[in-house]
Amino acid sequence: MSHPVLIIGAGVAGMTAAVELADSGIQTILVERKTTVGGNALDLYKAFPTDDCFYCFEGNRWRPGIRKCFYRSALLDQPNLVLKTNTTIKEISGEPGSFTVVLSVGPQYVDAAKCIMCGVCLEHSKAFDIVSPQCQPQAVTYDPSKADDGAKRAAEECPTKAIDLDAEPSEETVNVADVIVATGYHEMQPVNIDEYGYGKIPNVITQLELAQMLDPNGVAGGVLTRPSDGEPVRSVMMVQCVGSRDENYYPYCSKICCVFALKHANIIVLERENISVSVVYMDIRTYDRHERYYREAREAGVNFIRGRVQIVRPSTSGGVEVVVYDSLLDRYLRFDADLFVLSSALEAPEGGSEIIKALGLRESSGFVAPANPESEERVIVGDHVYACGTALGPAEVPESVTQARAVVSKILQSRRG
Amino acid sequence: MAETDDKTGPPVTLIEPIDMTKLDPNFRKEIQNMPDGDEVNACFACSTCTAACPIANQWKYKPHQLIRMILLGMREEVLSSREIWECLTCFQCQERCPQGVRVTDIIFDLRDLASEEGKIPDAVKFLAKELLEKGQLYVVTADWEREDLDLEPEVPGLSTDEFKEILKRTRTGKIAGGE
Amino acid sequence: MPTYNLYMGCSVPANYPNYEAATLKVAEKLGMELQYMEGVACCGSPNLRAIDYFGWLLVNARTLAIGEKNGHDIVTPCNGCFAALKDVWYHLKHNEEDLKKVNEELKKSGLELKCNVRVRHVVEAMYTDIGIVAIKERITKPLDGVRIAIHYGCHLLRPKDVTEFTPEVLDELLRATGATVVEYPLWKQCCGATVLPVNEDLAVRLAHDKLKSMKDAEAEFAMVVCPACGNQLDLQQFGIKESYGVEFNLPVLFYPQILALAMGMSEDEVGLGMNRVPADPILCHFTSE
Repeated sequence: MSHPVLIIGAGVAGMTAAVELADSGIQTILVERKTTVGGNALDLYKAFPTDDCFYCFEGNRWRPGIRKCFYRSALLDQPNLVLKTNTTIKEISGEPGSFTVVLSVGPQYVDAAKCIMCGVCLEHSKAFDIVSPQCQPQAVTYDPSKADDGAKRAAEECPTKAIDLDAEPSEETVNVADVIVATGYHEMQPVNIDEYGYGKIPNVITQLELAQMLDPNGVAGGVLTRPSDGEPVRSVMMVQCVGSRDENYYPYCSKICCVFALKHANIIVLERENISVSVVYMDIRTYDRHERYYREAREAGVNFIRGRVQIVRPSTSGGVEVVVYDSLLDRYLRFDADLFVLSSALEAPEGGSEIIKALGLRESSGFVAPANPESEERVIVGDHVYACGTALGPAEVPESVTQARAVVSKILQSRRG
Repeated sequence: MAETDDKTGPPVTLIEPIDMTKLDPNFRKEIQNMPDGDEVNACFACSTCTAACPIANQWKYKPHQLIRMILLGMREEVLSSREIWECLTCFQCQERCPQGVRVTDIIFDLRDLASEEGKIPDAVKFLAKELLEKGQLYVVTADWEREDLDLEPEVPGLSTDEFKEILKRTRTGKIAGGE
Repeated sequence: MPTYNLYMGCSVPANYPNYEAATLKVAEKLGMELQYMEGVACCGSPNLRAIDYFGWLLVNARTLAIGEKNGHDIVTPCNGCFAALKDVWYHLKHNEEDLKKVNEELKKSGLELKCNVRVRHVVEAMYTDIGIVAIKERITKPLDGVRIAIHYGCHLLRPKDVTEFTPEVLDELLRATGATVVEYPLWKQCCGATVLPVNEDLAVRLAHDKLKSMKDAEAEFAMVVCPACGNQLDLQQFGIKESYGVEFNLPVLFYPQILALAMGMSEDEVGLGMNRVPADPILCHFTSE
């Protein structure tokens, strides 16, 4: 009777599409590879353009005008929506409009419906973790690779008996009418770009890693320290276009890195004490309203250097020595930075190409490409197959939301009458 | 105060803009038609090549500026520059260029064009002469050293006649033979 | 037994017969038959490419065509020769028009180039054709983990699409002898050999920076696989002493010398006495087993 929609990936785009389809009365199955939803947005700390914590931003969006945390939101309350975490796609067959999808459901060690996040298990074993206080579903996670003697005791002492250490993986087959690919992106790990020393020099990190350091809920509690020795950070240098706009890596502009970097530069200069920030760039691309981040950064005293990096190496002070060619001054500058932050390209996620292949979609630089490149219908990627968010290529949060809504609109239109 | 130098004109108070009509708009085409110039138009002036170069800090024209000058048509300045001959040809600029411009190979092409016009440093001209006369850059002199190491005193298979004949007919012959 | 066309070039036999001898002896032990190519001369060096592109194409196409006749790969111990042959091969492989022009000239001496021949550095052939496992089997006196910095050489590594060579090849070859490969910041930097004719001061400075970077990373020895790089890093240490008053005292060895010694050959067999900065301290690092 019903014609469910399968959504692959519970990040910004996938959750938006799922909630809005469910709200429109459509049966929705939202599949997520990880144990908690939110995707990369979880790690952004403050997401532009509103600088909100991502959870509130999402919760707020669903019920306009009401600020309430995401864990009380539609993913739990909406009866048309089935969320399957720790689940991947094994096989897709059938015809457009009637797909048969085999799901690999990972072992459900913790029953999210029972877990009250009391923390008893965390005291007994390192294998248990709370990803974030706002994690969704609201439950602890269990990592069997870290299993220790305490795990068994944790299971026994769990007050709600939510833990099953013997859980096995299973398979489930669903029939769906439409598929939405919302598989997101991955931040490139620039280990192969020799001149930046990433992966070799501990004080060289990426923007996403910096966001996690800045997050007050993160491991460091929002305090910036050098990964090499834990000394406080006094100077930060960022470099733009790492792996983006580069025919050796990714030819496209990753679109969000300029604002991402500027946002971090502003947070560091304005909200932390005595830390200077320099940004090495070749073009600053703050299109549309994002220009304000650039203006704010200059006003805050962020140092902008138009040029490229010659060499990065550990410095005698324990930081990193960076030599930059300043193309406006036509001189080489030597810096001693505590943190060297790479604005690394957004690339297609791991496993993305398998889904593209299974659904017979077109591909562009690893991302999902529109079915008809001439058409303006970017989100239509196949017959009864749609894509939204960064599965289509680099996008900011509002753009992902807009695309998700476009998909919802297309599906609703196709079912009218 | 006391200016005794002969003045040949009014003092230079402002530098005139480069007169674009005096430049050679075909220079970029000329480079594109060289063996490695295909991608020269792709340059987006990021200056990565200059950041990569280990010796450009002592150059008047940095690698990205040389490419810029090619695109503008500053043929004379580029082909007369010392920079094109000092290039180490270490290919670091080319390796790091994000737009696939074969920067080092283009510098080789620039040397080739300069050579056609006879603009060759004396030291390089000397090497051309050596190649033409000896058929190699280095000639075995200490053959006893070779024998001590159980090597043939003469390099087996070495034959320079045909090499010399070829270069006599090509540009090397003109460069080195003309003096 | 794999057989190769050995293109020796002019610099190795004239300046570094120790490198030549060590290469031949190591190859023999590894079961590689190296046959000196007949009727070949110089590659012209990058200088010939600069002043006479077509002449440079011709002389190297000729070498390639001679090698192609017997079907064996061409191997060379010199990065300069390697680059010239690889570059010309790559250009002619992708440019039919120039290949035709070149072949019209080659026809006069009864040669034709089809671009089927493969060119490799001689140590690359050891790596791919003999392999690390077999090389290790022949090592009787492995090094004791002594720290050695590798200078790969620009024209061996770049441009990558032409040379098809990765630095890991040398890393693994050196590690096979028991040495520790030293990582140092300026590992990619040029030795300065190419600029020697037009700006000697600059060349000396580059060698200085390179050696300093190795020393700062606590390298005890340096390794090269090219006579020009070897000259610049080894002999130039005397020029550096004169210009900068700095004595690095960093012995520079050719890879086949290190490998030969680890295979149990004597210092005389590899001409260790010819290395300009005395290299005999390496002898203390070979274990007896």
